[in-house]
Amino acid sequence: MIWLNVAQALLLVAIAPLVRGVIARLKARIQNRRGASVWRPYADLAKLFRKEDLTPPSASIVFRFAPMIVFAATVTAAAFVPVVHGSALLGATGDFILLVYLLALSRFFLSLGAMDGGSSFGGMGASREALVSALAEVPLLLGLVAVAILARTATLAGIVQWTVRQDFTQISAVHALAFAALALVAIAETGRIPVDNPTTHLELTMIHEAMVLEYSGPSLALIEWASAVKLSVLLALLIAVFAPWGMAGGVSVPALALATLAFLLKVFVLALAIAVVESSIAKLRMYLVPDFLGVASALAILAVVFTALMR
Amino acid sequence: MIQTFFDAFLIGLLCIPAVILVGGRQRPLRVLASTLLLIGLLAGTAVAGVCFWRGDRLAIDLSQLTPLPFAVAVDRLSAFFLLLICGVGAAVTLFSHSYIEHHYSGQRRDWLWALLPLFLLSMMLVVTASTAFAFLFGWELMTLFSAGLIVIDGDSERRRHSLYVYLLMMHAGAAAVAAGFFLFLPNAAGLSFASMRTAAALMPAGLRTAIFLLAFIGFGTKAGIVPLHIWLPKAHPIAPSPVSALMSGVMLKTAVYGFVRFGFDFLGGGPDWWGYLVLAAGAVSGVLGVLYAIAEHDLKRLLAYHSVENIGIIYLGLGAALVFRAHNAPVWVALALLAALLHTLNHGLFKSLLFLGAGAVSHAAHTLDIEELGGLLKRMRTTGAAFLVACCSIIGLPIFNGFISEWLTFRSFLAGSALGSMPASVVLPLMAGVLALIGGLAAACFAKVYGVAFLGRPRSAEADHAQEVPFAMRASMVLLAAPCVVIGIAPGFVLRPLSAALQPFLPGTVLPEEAVAIAGVMPWIAAAVLALVFAATAIRRVTRVTATWACGLPGLDSRMQYTSTSFSKPLRRVFSQVYKPDRTLEILPADRPYFPTAISYRSVRTTSFEKSLYRPAVEAIVGTAHRLRRLQTGNIQVYLLYIFMALVALLVFMRFA
Amino acid sequence: MHLVHFAAARALASSAVFLFITVLLMATAKRISTCIVLFSAQCAIITAEILAMAYVHKSPEAYAVAALVLIVKVLAIPYALFRIVKNLQAPGDITASTTAAQSVFIAAGLILLSFFAVEPYSETLRVDTDMLAAAIALVLSGAFLMVSRKKALAQVIGLLVLENGIFLAALTTTFGMPLVVEIGIFFDLLMGVFLMGLFVFRIRDTFEHLDVSKLRRLRG
Repeated sequence: MIWLNVAQALLLVAIAPLVRGVIARLKARIQNRRGASVWRPYADLAKLFRKEDLTPPSASIVFRFAPMIVFAATVTAAAFVPVVHGSALLGATGDFILLVYLLALSRFFLSLGAMDGGSSFGGMGASREALVSALAEVPLLLGLVAVAILARTATLAGIVQWTVRQDFTQISAVHALAFAALALVAIAETGRIPVDNPTTHLELTMIHEAMVLEYSGPSLALIEWASAVKLSVLLALLIAVFAPWGMAGGVSVPALALATLAFLLKVFVLALAIAVVESSIAKLRMYLVPDFLGVASALAILAVVFTALMR
Repeated sequence: MIQTFFDAFLIGLLCIPAVILVGGRQRPLRVLASTLLLIGLLAGTAVAGVCFWRGDRLAIDLSQLTPLPFAVAVDRLSAFFLLLICGVGAAVTLFSHSYIEHHYSGQRRDWLWALLPLFLLSMMLVVTASTAFAFLFGWELMTLFSAGLIVIDGDSERRRHSLYVYLLMMHAGAAAVAAGFFLFLPNAAGLSFASMRTAAALMPAGLRTAIFLLAFIGFGTKAGIVPLHIWLPKAHPIAPSPVSALMSGVMLKTAVYGFVRFGFDFLGGGPDWWGYLVLAAGAVSGVLGVLYAIAEHDLKRLLAYHSVENIGIIYLGLGAALVFRAHNAPVWVALALLAALLHTLNHGLFKSLLFLGAGAVSHAAHTLDIEELGGLLKRMRTTGAAFLVACCSIIGLPIFNGFISEWLTFRSFLAGSALGSMPASVVLPLMAGVLALIGGLAAACFAKVYGVAFLGRPRSAEADHAQEVPFAMRASMVLLAAPCVVIGIAPGFVLRPLSAALQPFLPGTVLPEEAVAIAGVMPWIAAAVLALVFAATAIRRVTRVTATWACGLPGLDSRMQYTSTSFSKPLRRVFSQVYKPDRTLEILPADRPYFPTAISYRSVRTTSFEKSLYRPAVEAIVGTAHRLRRLQTGNIQVYLLYIFMALVALLVFMRFA
Repeated sequence: MHLVHFAAARALASSAVFLFITVLLMATAKRISTCIVLFSAQCAIITAEILAMAYVHKSPEAYAVAALVLIVKVLAIPYALFRIVKNLQAPGDITASTTAAQSVFIAAGLILLSFFAVEPYSETLRVDTDMLAAAIALVLSGAFLMVSRKKALAQVIGLLVLENGIFLAALTTTFGMPLVVEIGIFFDLLMGVFLMGLFVFRIRDTFEHLDVSKLRRLRG
């Protein structure tokens, strides 16, 4: 079973750039462009790994090590989410609180690395990221808490097993509200429009890009890969908590193949949704982002209160 | 044998001040005395450790010699706090070895060394007392000795004002605690803890509530929950750095100890509104503490506000435990109490480390304003590394100890949803949201602190010439940083005896399964992260040190970096209802605003509590006192009239009684 | 038939959830066209519910009511409102006196309040408490929209949501009203919308804007 769970985590890490490529391609199609190939992010990563790694003279050891810690923490978080089977490498003992805080660890070191660059943009990115992440913690945790209360367990594997037993045509208010809150948070955490533009080149509109402005070569590759892994981890989390039907119950090859296919299909649907949202809404002004996250918090709080009302 | 060790250790601590005051002028005697203090504290840590892990009990009874019953007893809970006091005290003493030598001389230095062991002794007395008299004696001495240590650092109008506020509030808190003790009086003979335990079960509910509220206010003042916290940011920054570390890291925890004793040991829990009150206090303190900290750029004031925040987190755990107690769910009481007590230990460790780091920074760069710092990590590696460990711990990141206690608090809130009765099953999970908000804001604040002070480019010449601090100071910081990491990776060895420490007032509880789970999974996570970092380091790469993009601007200046004020601006703007500064903007010349020759901008923040709560209260009391002065007319016939009226009233009362 | 039965049961069970979601989304809407679309969606959900009830209780009258609701409220009234918006050529944003986040919190509070209010009646009446709570939530949020939005059109939509809530409340407590009463209410509403449309144009032509807060300058 260990090999299965290791393969799940590696699957998430391996398809992460592909998910980004698919979203970019879908956006291009919606905007009436041809778009780059979906395999382009892999080529980007390979190119970056071959390049030189530049360090500013005033930077300290944190600048050099931050990309590695960011990557390590995000990949460790990928080991928590059940992908094709109802269990994950650390999903039986580790729960969603650990997942959220591992992502917080990677975000903290990314901010520190940004500030160590010694330029204005690192500080700007870190300051804005601090605002967004401080306000995004509440709906992220409360949304997952609401579902965990219904499932009476905090481990992700337990939540998956409980959800699989439920009737998927019966929409519960708690799940609808929690999904809405978590979808908004996923947009904020992964730096997508309307919170942040992942393809911008204007420093005025950057949040995540400003933090990685000074990095180059393998360090930049690790950070970009970690950011893609974070997106696929959050998508896999949404799928596992809200739509886990199709996951393999046993370890037989046909069941696993079917489960992988189902997972890829669900990820494609979510990628399509993200592409549609990104193409139809304008990026929010930064001081409207707390409003956006406030809406997500209200939805999450309502979800938690409903767990007691709708029993 | 342990008993003799303990007695010797206490007597040794008592002798050191005498030695210092007599022979302080000679350096070898001073070094001898401070080394003896260090060794004594290490021995004390060992004694406390044995009592904590093995469960030995110690007792000293001096009731024969003192007019009121005075006895000291060490059970597992006291040993836990004693471990914290002695451990942190040992690190602080090691730090003070060099710090005091460099910064103080003559009488001030002697008095500092004399008062330090007495301060530690008073704190030890508080956590090991087994009669009310001993407890109150130690409580008051704590305030006095810490005030003395603050006075040593200098005198000025502002310092005197802060000191008065500190003494007044501590005294008010002590009065409330004393009143709480005295309410036991008719039932508990001699006010020993054992008699109070048995008496509380027989007392009526109203009396128990009164005792609880007095304990809440009294210990809350000392712990620093909002709105009784205003002394914290005044008193902690003006003390010498080692003393600030002790005050913030250890002294606040004695208040938590007292509250746990009162709430769980003596009173044995109560109705659930007690728990909701404590939860509310914890939530408000946590959120407001971190919001005020975000707006600060003086390192010590910032850390003082963070103490308010962490006390809020501890009170969240204690409130949850009280709610569970009211609903008779002993397993979850144990979980919540475990979370709160582990957080006291963790906070003691990393907060002291942060204050010692602040002391090291002020030693090296001669300023505590982080707007003047920068790039200190490159110049002070060990200090920077230890400070980073403390930052990660206080935010609650995995692999460090803060995460374990916050995780346990989260799990106890989640458990609360299964309680079934209405307010509790909704309020407790919502408190998880409050804790998440506190954690997120703390991460923002410490990204600011570490990023502005230790990373990037130095913003002043002082910071540029900063040098690493002497060995003793470095060693003390590493001594405090190591347990932060060890407890973060393998918390089981602290959680097991701690849950055993809760046995006396939660009979029959075992180690909660959540504690077992987290102790099982953390080493794997740490191993995975380290393995991945190692693998990432092994990637073959070509590195070059050169100027990077920085938007293509040549000649980057250190003033172009983000300052602490600019970093926190977005958060301050979002939470502007909390801050409400007084702003004055002056443009000269006033009649030609579009061609200014000078612009001045002044923004002063007074925390709203002083303006809206304390000042009106003080003015009300003073006004009442003024009005009462009219009774004092100076006319002797009026005084005779008062006596006459008292006589008449007494006669009437006797008739109707 | 089995599928239809199944769909009917599911529609009855989950329409309350969707109505709450439309309430919350309307609180955060920044443009009038979004509000109109959400109002149309609300009416569509209510139509689905009437159809489900009609199937379960086997009443032909209810099918007619559902058709009426579909034509008038899901199609006609939103179309009329869109026409008004286009002809006005006014900026399509809604200025509100509360920010989006505050509005959502207030809307969430109103939803909880409606649950609280409905609780004592859950045993005495044999009704679905969720639907009744949704109805009261619609009434309260419609009133809130009217109070907090400054543009006249947004207030009209608030009134329409309020009427939706009253209709839904009548539906759940008595299962449908006699057809005649229903037709009467519809004509009432249609007249109301026409008059509002007329007034909106008159206000715009006389004062050259639609900001109702500026009406305060008419004080004597």
